[in-house]
Amino acid sequence: CSTQVLCENGPFCSRFVCWHANCGALQKNTRDIVIVLLYHIRAEGGYVCVLFRQQREEKQLEASLESLHARVAHLKGSLQSFILKLENEHDRLTWPSVLDNFALLSGQLNTINKVLKNEKTPSYRSQVIIPLLLSPDRDEELVKLTEQRVPVFSHEIVPDHLRTKPDPEVEEQEKHLSAEAARIGPEVAQKQIQTLNKLCSNLLEKLNNPRDDRDSESSALRQNKPSFNPADTNALVAAVGFGKGLSKCRPPGSVPPGHPGQPTMSTGPTLQQVTIAGTTGHQAGMGGQVAQQQPGQPGKMPSSIKTNIKSASASMHPYNR
Amino acid sequence: MEAPPVTVMPVTGGTINMMEYLLQGSVLDQSLESLLHRLRGLCDNMEPESFADHELVYLLKGQQGNPFMLRGRRSLLHPTAPWHLRYLGQPEVGDKSRHALVRNCVDVAASHSLPEFLNEMGFRMDHEFVAKGQVFRKGAMKVVVSKLLRVLATGNTENTEPLSLSYLVELSVLAPAGQDTVSEDMRSFAEQLKPLVHLEKIDPKRLM
Repeated sequence: CSTQVLCENGPFCSRFVCWHANCGALQKNTRDIVIVLLYHIRAEGGYVCVLFRQQREEKQLEASLESLHARVAHLKGSLQSFILKLENEHDRLTWPSVLDNFALLSGQLNTINKVLKNEKTPSYRSQVIIPLLLSPDRDEELVKLTEQRVPVFSHEIVPDHLRTKPDPEVEEQEKHLSAEAARIGPEVAQKQIQTLNKLCSNLLEKLNNPRDDRDSESSALRQNKPSFNPADTNALVAAVGFGKGLSKCRPPGSVPPGHPGQPTMSTGPTLQQVTIAGTTGHQAGMGGQVAQQQPGQPGKMPSSIKTNIKSASASMHPYNR
Repeated sequence: MEAPPVTVMPVTGGTINMMEYLLQGSVLDQSLESLLHRLRGLCDNMEPESFADHELVYLLKGQQGNPFMLRGRRSLLHPTAPWHLRYLGQPEVGDKSRHALVRNCVDVAASHSLPEFLNEMGFRMDHEFVAKGQVFRKGAMKVVVSKLLRVLATGNTENTEPLSLSYLVELSVLAPAGQDTVSEDMRSFAEQLKPLVHLEKIDPKRLM
């Protein structure tokens, strides 16, 4: 028979169909795809109508293949964009965005795994793909479908694309491993299994239950190599902010002894310098003066300013300094 | 006559009021390499710039209030480059939830006669230091890792000694006032540098 079954919209149509010799009864064979045809012959014109019913498994197969195809298409798309990014923007790429791409790929692989493990998905192992026609001629339709990757459906590409067994090297390795496993004997194998289980459970326990003594010993280890010192931070910020710890530069004539008003005026605004300890040379004398005058500063300030305005402007003349 | 446009402040000058958003921290000398590696990975991919600058801080002591502070900075690696004069205002208080220190910032370039000019204006040099380190950039954010050195003899930048055994790490952004998303971005970047460096908002007044 060479015509295809095409009528799933309703029980009545006018296409010719063929029907399998053994059909007529619904067969619940879950392994094979059996096409069951029910036909209804109209008395008047001899139209042969078809009710075409697919097995549940065939519909499931189709649906799962579709979803798998969609997921694989997503994965392909994100792989493509990642490769493009690596090729074209590699100098602008940052590690966090590379990690994001890898996370996306891993998530998509996970969904594919879930689709495959879904109980509604039939076992693909029972399906067989047989190439019906091989030709060395270029097939434009195939070229379009595979995005220029497979131009010819020929004898060379079939072993690669329709392969169901693993690579010969992988097969060798698997054989080797199973021979090894058979060789060591059941008692040794059991012991190895138990050791592995014990190691895993120990590790899991350590990860899940943070114990105080474990924390203290690890934090003690960590204290041996801290990477920053908060006291240093404060010292550096103070140095940059207002020169704490840096030697104060004073032009030599800045504290002339004959100007009693001047020290009060200059130290009033610079209150912050009072707290600096250990500054050099002539600062020490000024510091002492400030300490005496500090309590009276707020009250003195206005008056000293008034009296000093004239003298200050005179002494601010650059030549005096 | 139509009503004048409603603005908060009269527009008098040609420049926008720029604010500097700042987070500071430090890293010990022995952990510097790991910090630099991490910054190279996180920041924009370009060769990190090294710098060696001599900064002089000038104070103008007025009759009342705090003295006016200006910072003049020159490059020791590029002696012919112009000086950089900077004014930094007091940190803005108020929003405790803001993650970065915010202060008004005015930057101008100046010629090599800056020190004499400031002296003539009445400023006196209060202190000076040398900063050597590297600058990294990530978008608008700038990370500066620098070693502060004390100048032992005034004006002599050859004779210096380190101030401490740590490098100062500063994360800063220059932005117009009112952009609070900036401090969020800074905080998330600072998270990525933990636990090597803790970048935080340090109020200099607290350390006085």
